[in-house]
Amino acid sequence: MASSDKSPSALATDGEPRPPGQPMTVEQHVIDKGSQILQSLKPVKKMSQHACTFASYSHDMTRHIETHHYITRLNQDFLQCAVYDTDHAHGCLIGIEYIISDRIFEDLPPDEQKLWHSHAYEIKSGLWVNPRVPGIIEKPELENLVKTYGKFWCTWQVDRGDKLPLGAPALMMSPQPVNLGQVSPELLHARDRKYNISTEALRASRVEFPEPEWINPQADYWKQHGKGFAIDIKLTDMILRAPFP
Amino acid sequence: MSSTHPEVPGEPTKTGTAFLETATATIQSFAPINQIHQHLCAFHFYSYDMTRQVEAHHYCAHQNEEMRQCLIYDSPDADARLIGLEYVISEPLFLTLPDDEKRLWHSHEYEVKSGLLFMPGVPGPIERQDMEKLAKTYGKVFHFWQVDRKDNLPLGIPQVMMAFTRDGQIYEDLVKDVEDRYGISVAKERENRAYISGSTHGIHPLANGGGKGLKTELREVDCKAPDSVPRVFV
Repeated sequence: MASSDKSPSALATDGEPRPPGQPMTVEQHVIDKGSQILQSLKPVKKMSQHACTFASYSHDMTRHIETHHYITRLNQDFLQCAVYDTDHAHGCLIGIEYIISDRIFEDLPPDEQKLWHSHAYEIKSGLWVNPRVPGIIEKPELENLVKTYGKFWCTWQVDRGDKLPLGAPALMMSPQPVNLGQVSPELLHARDRKYNISTEALRASRVEFPEPEWINPQADYWKQHGKGFAIDIKLTDMILRAPFP
Repeated sequence: MSSTHPEVPGEPTKTGTAFLETATATIQSFAPINQIHQHLCAFHFYSYDMTRQVEAHHYCAHQNEEMRQCLIYDSPDADARLIGLEYVISEPLFLTLPDDEKRLWHSHEYEVKSGLLFMPGVPGPIERQDMEKLAKTYGKVFHFWQVDRKDNLPLGIPQVMMAFTRDGQIYEDLVKDVEDRYGISVAKERENRAYISGSTHGIHPLANGGGKGLKTELREVDCKAPDSVPRVFV
């Protein structure tokens, strides 16, 4: 009925904004302002890092996207990220990524591990950046992250032109040092121009970061097994406790 | 300055790490996050199993008048777990969706009119202004962390979630727990919201799974061979 690797029927023309819709009314702005003042919004205030990096679709590794992660740390071994397609105020919320230490990862069952990806290459190659943060400050955090694994579900495939979040969530994978896992130069240069940085220079500065001793072969499943994953959504009978709908 | 989480495995955050994150939080820009202006408390159930119900704290940003995007946490606390997300769209936008897509979205009319959906800390008259709009919208929710089955990590594949659509579906004690914590009365708020009207065209028959459950499944697909793509820089 819906699958992450199948394009839904054409929805909107190219001329339409993403998402379509009327601009916010004054009334809505007032309601918004009121709630912003009155409510505490604690979990959101705990976000402490912005990272810009790249990912590709597990079911089609030729499609790479630039991503913006807004990250909260729950403890030394676990981070949770809200992922957007840009760092602008009107960025689209395109998914969620979870990041865990290698220690926690090794305890997962193999069937779970195959949904995760490693971060070592992404970080050492300079693809993962923390905009505006001087290298000397980000260094200890990046040395931690080098050994972590991530699980990233993308719910809005903006790169295929979707004006609204359509279909099933897609599993994402991280850049890797083999051809299918490599980010296109155009995408990379566009990102570097925007932040006035050089990924190549960052790679040179991160050469000394310790490599993990090994990367679990269940992670980055496509590399060893030549298989990606798609999610299907199917109709089924609902277990009920009252009539529905 | 160290923090740990009672239910997520891992060592407490080291002081150095916490300090560093104070620095990044200060230096960096969080523009899309700064658009999150509202907290809504609601309830979801798994779209194939109404007996599994979850309290869901939504933190919402408007993309425009007709579309919101929300982060969903399992509690309103600073150490809350990010368990999913929801997109909310107006009725006109919903009607533009292909039919198969409509099934993945749920109506909000009952949630609003029953009083189950509310904005903690916001006085009734202001809250009701937003409820009047929300009553006519549709939502699409995925959860990635099944906290109700006590998973201490976000295991497995995404779950499509649904919202309640009539009396008798939600567990009474789930409601009572929230009422006690927030000092509210859902029944009283239902009375206050009796005047609110739902969608102009009525709840679409394909919304809410079209009355069926929705199950997600993982499928392996063949990858192109890694070397089939010409080598590029990086």
